[in-house]
Amino acid sequence: MAETRRVIEIELPSGDVAPVVCRRFGSGPFRVVIAAGIRGDAPEGIRVAHRVSSFLEAEEGRLNGTVDIYPCANPLAAHRGTRTWPFFDTDLNRLFPGRSDGHPPAQVARALCDDISGAQQVIELRGARPAFSEASQAIVRHDHAESAELASHANVAVVWRRTPGPAAPATFAHQFPGSIVLEGGTGNRLTPGVGNDLADGVLNLLVHLKVLPESGLPFHWAAIRRPVHVTDAEVHRVRAERGGLFLPASTIWSEVEAGECLGEIVDPLTGLTREEVRSPMAGNILAIRELPVVFPGTMVARVVTA
Amino acid sequence: MTVVYSIEAPYRGRYELHRLTFGSGSPRVAIVAGLHGNELNGMHAVNMLAAALRAQRPRGTVHLFPLVNTFGADEARKRWPFDDRDINKAFPGDPDGTAVQRIASALLDATDADVCVDVHSGAPHVRELPQVRVPLSGRELELGRAMGLPLVWRREGARLQASGLIGAWRDAGRQALHVVGGRGITLDTGHSATIARGLKRLLGHLGLVRHVDPNETVADVTRVEVGVHRAATGGFFVPEVRVGALVKPGHLLGYLQMPIGGDRIGELRARRGGVVVTVRAWPMVYAQELLVRVAGTDST
Repeated sequence: MAETRRVIEIELPSGDVAPVVCRRFGSGPFRVVIAAGIRGDAPEGIRVAHRVSSFLEAEEGRLNGTVDIYPCANPLAAHRGTRTWPFFDTDLNRLFPGRSDGHPPAQVARALCDDISGAQQVIELRGARPAFSEASQAIVRHDHAESAELASHANVAVVWRRTPGPAAPATFAHQFPGSIVLEGGTGNRLTPGVGNDLADGVLNLLVHLKVLPESGLPFHWAAIRRPVHVTDAEVHRVRAERGGLFLPASTIWSEVEAGECLGEIVDPLTGLTREEVRSPMAGNILAIRELPVVFPGTMVARVVTA
Repeated sequence: MTVVYSIEAPYRGRYELHRLTFGSGSPRVAIVAGLHGNELNGMHAVNMLAAALRAQRPRGTVHLFPLVNTFGADEARKRWPFDDRDINKAFPGDPDGTAVQRIASALLDATDADVCVDVHSGAPHVRELPQVRVPLSGRELELGRAMGLPLVWRREGARLQASGLIGAWRDAGRQALHVVGGRGITLDTGHSATIARGLKRLLGHLGLVRHVDPNETVADVTRVEVGVHRAATGGFFVPEVRVGALVKPGHLLGYLQMPIGGDRIGELRARRGGVVVTVRAWPMVYAQELLVRVAGTDST
């Protein structure tokens, strides 16, 4: 039976408490951490964490190591379905490594870092960005070949070896250099199929980490997708030139030719076309905007070439 | 008034970044307010300064940006409403990036001046004594002190990220001052007027205007001279002091009580004498949250 413990409890002014919990499966020095719900608008990650928990609950006797699952790091934001921690309006994923003497979000960040410290592998589960649908993808640090190789087994369409941006040092994943971030689906929604794919991917990663025997998988290894590996140079942001409503003409992971129309931007008051947004190169659509309101410069799609 | 940048906006009029310019030539000063749409004490202060500059043309150039985040202000929101991004974390910006990145880039270009000031209110849940936050030494400290605001807070430069406007100005080699006063969401007319006088003193120090208002500085401190009082537990905080109050050690600053029933949980008493520079305004508090800051004064 899995051990469930409270990593930290945030006392609310009204007298209630908001706990961040960890569910531990198995035992042994080799420890894998699976964390979800760092932002409250990514329920797909939480669903995947629970699917994996449910599976490990039944297979715990076969585990060769410890799997710690943190199904929801930001419970108050998840409660509201918002990206940021309520009241403080703070993005928890910009607060790491946190402070034990700071405000509650900073305390949670610190408590998570302290609790996870020493784990051999960290896997972060997210959903898509709120305004987008995204193909399933694993994001690893650009200079970490070992985690890129491991991520090949995560049952995703793309492994993106990403160069850290200016905000990266304060993110959860950046605290653990070999971490793998899994995401996909649609922002603030559960997408049929995506959760199952990512959960299968996590279980397959546990097999490759030798924590779970291959015979324990609920699927055949040949069913796992073979991802495309890309770097930042192969991921192209496509932006709107005009403001208005973006109406997509493409779907996730469809192949597009250079110059092919990805969608149009229409005047929100008349519906007349202001711009046809075209792919700058041939490739596959990694992300497409679902929330239609756009300003000039708003990203409407990501196209990968590989 | 000049529109220095504009961008198309769906469903409403274009976003426009407005600049008021007074005088010409050197020295050049740029003063920015309203980067956060729910912090409008700075906007009020800058508009007061504009009224003064209409009556007295400066000997040099003063660029005023009273309200950058107009869309946020329309909704009483700190950030740019569309994608909930903080403009003050988007610097140096990108002329080909998102709307917020484009605005940041345009603002940085439009504030090409010798001395730059960014004026904010406190967060919505706290009220701050008007203050200038400056490095521990150097020209910016001299300029900050010349403002004569009630609090001069000398802070480590590392606190200011390059993605913020102050950091971007410094990276561009400009003198940058960070002014904070009052509380977000509300308008503190007294604090706004105090900030406006401080801005005018700065212009006077730089030789752009004549100034007559006496210096109002009460405390000139570093971090170690500021007593920070935090909540021992969560609860309902009732303050017994206001910002600007002078207190002695042991002075009752406020108390925590149960939100329901009102049983008193604990008292907050000053550990040091000085001037109260920060007071929690929103009463529901979490454990370890900031409630009151007291800055040491020369007499304490």
